Amino acid sequence: MVTWTNLQEALKPGDPLKAFARRHPSFYSRYAGQEDDFGFKLSTFALWEPLFRFCYEDYFKVRTEGIENILGEGPAIVCGNHSGLIPIDGAMLAMAMCSHHPSPRRVRFLATDWFFGLPGLGDWIVETGQVRATQENARILLSRGELVGVYPEGLRGVGKTFRERYRVLDFHPGFVQLSIATGAPLIPIATVGGDEIYPNLLNLKGLARFMRMPFWAVTPTFPWLPFPLMFIPLPVKWMINIHKPIDLGYPPEKAGDRKLVLRIAREIQYDIQRDINRLLRERRSVFTGWDG
Amino acid sequence: MTVKTFARAYRNYIRSATAGGEQFGFDLELVARIEPLLSLLYRQWWKVALSGFEHLPAAGPALIAGNSGGTIPWPAFMLMYALMSSRSKPRRLSVLADLDWVADRKLRQALAGVGFVARTAENARRLFAAGEVVAIFPEGAAAASKPFAERYRLRPFDWTLFLPAIEEDVPIYPLATLGCDEAVPVFANLEGLARFLRLPAYPVTPFFPWMPFPTNLMSLPVAWRMHLLRPASRPADQDRHGLDEVAQRQAGFVEGEIQAELNRMLRWRWKSQG
Repeated sequence: MVTWTNLQEALKPGDPLKAFARRHPSFYSRYAGQEDDFGFKLSTFALWEPLFRFCYEDYFKVRTEGIENILGEGPAIVCGNHSGLIPIDGAMLAMAMCSHHPSPRRVRFLATDWFFGLPGLGDWIVETGQVRATQENARILLSRGELVGVYPEGLRGVGKTFRERYRVLDFHPGFVQLSIATGAPLIPIATVGGDEIYPNLLNLKGLARFMRMPFWAVTPTFPWLPFPLMFIPLPVKWMINIHKPIDLGYPPEKAGDRKLVLRIAREIQYDIQRDINRLLRERRSVFTGWDG
Repeated sequence: MTVKTFARAYRNYIRSATAGGEQFGFDLELVARIEPLLSLLYRQWWKVALSGFEHLPAAGPALIAGNSGGTIPWPAFMLMYALMSSRSKPRRLSVLADLDWVADRKLRQALAGVGFVARTAENARRLFAAGEVVAIFPEGAAAASKPFAERYRLRPFDWTLFLPAIEEDVPIYPLATLGCDEAVPVFANLEGLARFLRLPAYPVTPFFPWMPFPTNLMSLPVAWRMHLLRPASRPADQDRHGLDEVAQRQAGFVEGEIQAELNRMLRWRWKSQG
């Protein structure tokens, strides 16, 4: 059953930052009062955290395996399969890192330029910690010891149709280049659940092109229902499986070796796909997941 | 097809098939007898669209690893027919398969006659030494019992099958077959009955076991595509950690290549359908 305590907390009057500090003292003390030139604002994060925690704990009931594989300190790159029209999978990982990790830390996801131009959403994405996806930005973040999140399928992965669910598209190999150049370990992540929350029945390409959007999906709720209702996802049970960190151990100048970089990117992509296949095979049903 | 017309139509195939030393009970006459059935399935029923076979060498050993599906390992037969009916470089195919459960002596003989060989490392090495093309379907029996909802989602590959090829440095070609999992939709796998009958799997399909004998092995006329990918290169780092680890890594890579190609083929098919 869905419980509403997290959602009630989101609607409670009072300073959200103070309530956040009470709930997550170590995350708060780690990032409070810190200037961030990429625009992360703890107050915005704190304001929205209860809503996403409601999604994580109550609505999708995310089961995260192997969270200890992400170290509490130091640079690392997490990379996984992308899903779900509205990319909630990143937010779910951020929630796992914020409230279920022994030493909580933020995830800096590298996002496509397109998001930053959106009115309203552009600022919100910056303030919750996302960074424009360029190699320099990622290198700066890693040199500061941050945890960088990448979805190497890109926007194509988000716009998958329902029958293409859990069929991983070819990874863009930039994240491997980044890992070799900076020496940061790679942590592959397989997410099951995200591709079913918004069943994408049809992609209206003409309308998408006209509105300058990457895709324009028709789902059972979108665009039929009135405004907030059309974005309500299905209560699918999620699983996030975090693999062991991979230390590539190549000298930085190998980052230019295209063949090597592509081979490693493929191997990681295939590992994730294989893990997804296994998780789907073991899943009892979409809504009850692996236990019931 | 009579043996005479077969001999005329497949002159080059017969020459290359009889050239190798190891035969493992290969029977050209039996191949001639089933050729009309294979041709019917290949050309009329499934209309197999073949691509990528130009990568396969005209001579010398090669290993083809593919996905499979259906009550009968049809992809093996279709690959066999594709190789024998090739205009430019017809070749004989040996399929390494688990034949332990085949108790019937006659069926065993027939399978050996068309090119099935018991899957042992020794047999694989002998075939490679004779310069044969060898096919493996490393999903094993799981391929036959995969439910329809899991179509074109590969089961984990048995990496030990890759060991002989890696030892002998034989190129490994991934083969993605689209169509086999839909030609025979599997509703359920009766594991208890399979164990009782000592069969690797007991799939329930629209035809099996309901219909009388030859018709229960029927399949739907879906369009097939077979794409042979370029041989998987050795793992990126050349320092060998031992053969087992190389084989495990290579098996995982080949599995991923096939899965990714199936994903691409499905995406392409759905896109072209609109």
